[in-house]
Amino acid sequence: MSAWGKVGAIRRTPGLQAVFVYRFGRLLDSRKKSIAVWPLLAVGWIVYALAAAVVRKGYGIRLSLSADIGPGFYVGHFGGVEVINCRLGQHCSVGQQTKVGRDGQIDGPRIGNGAWIGAHSKVFGPVTIGDNVTIAPGARVTKDVPSRSLVAGDPGRIVSRNYDNARILPPI
Amino acid sequence: MWSELRADFRLYCALRFPHGVGVLQRALLWFRSPGLLMLAIQRASHHWLNRRERDGWTPETLALKLLLALTRLPMLMISKSDVAMGTVIAGGVYLSDRGHLIIGPQGIGSGTLIHERVTIGVGAAGQVPPTIGENVWIGPDCVIYGDIRLGKGVTLLPGTVCSMNVPDNAVVAGNPGIIVRRDFDNTALRRNLERDVDRESLASR
Repeated sequence: MSAWGKVGAIRRTPGLQAVFVYRFGRLLDSRKKSIAVWPLLAVGWIVYALAAAVVRKGYGIRLSLSADIGPGFYVGHFGGVEVINCRLGQHCSVGQQTKVGRDGQIDGPRIGNGAWIGAHSKVFGPVTIGDNVTIAPGARVTKDVPSRSLVAGDPGRIVSRNYDNARILPPI
Repeated sequence: MWSELRADFRLYCALRFPHGVGVLQRALLWFRSPGLLMLAIQRASHHWLNRRERDGWTPETLALKLLLALTRLPMLMISKSDVAMGTVIAGGVYLSDRGHLIIGPQGIGSGTLIHERVTIGVGAAGQVPPTIGENVWIGPDCVIYGDIRLGKGVTLLPGTVCSMNVPDNAVVAGNPGIIVRRDFDNTALRRNLERDVDRESLASR
């Protein structure tokens, strides 16, 4: 893809902008121990606060810095996305209206690598979710989920224990 | 495009002002209703798509494209919605003013009400989105996906996840969605913007 095409892709994709802002905030957070860069951090936090406010209010995507998200995170569409107090592995994908974790809880969900979390699904509480799990649209996960399962329904049931989600995950 | 927009405007006025108001109040609705504005922009985009396929890039299609590109981000931020450009929307459709709609069906029939936080899209297996029939009532927080068809007068109660074909006049509820009633006349539901409907309150109608 050309440089101009990349700029266009960022402009057209609210999810990508939200992930960029989140990564910037995490970068600032990881540098807070080194006193030498504090003046830079002060400017950085102001920029981050403004950008995060635009992303949260404008796009409705809230990627809290309390969430620990691995590389290769994909936010499909926008609106009502909340990722708070949780741990996500590599190459995860969430859809619109997805709620992962909630405010004020200490032990949030722990999700493995390659999870596909569909639109309108809810993952609250201290659940452990394995690798390559697929959470169907609209599902509410209340219990631990083993790797490679497909969860659907409200409350969530494990529909399949060997579901390959490589087809629906964004390509690596 | 204009006749369809007029039908939309009449439906929005009837829903927002059930007791009737003056001409000025009705005209102000164009500025106060994100859903109506979104519909107008979707119809203009659809018109542009057809024109571009027919004529290619002419000064007219280029100008319309620039105009639509300028409205895209403000509309996205105001309504938090994304309505696919290719969708064929019949006249007289209500899309919620509260937004959060991510919808891309093949077509939407006239008289359909879609409330907030609704997702309509392709399933994991295929590339064919759903088709919404006429006079359908879709409650808040619904998800509709897959190569399916919702018949005429279908009612989807709030929070439904529907991925199957639904016959005419049926009521679907639950997650995963099941048909809870086969013959239900949703005319009364489509008269106003009442949204908190569940199976118990439906049984008394």
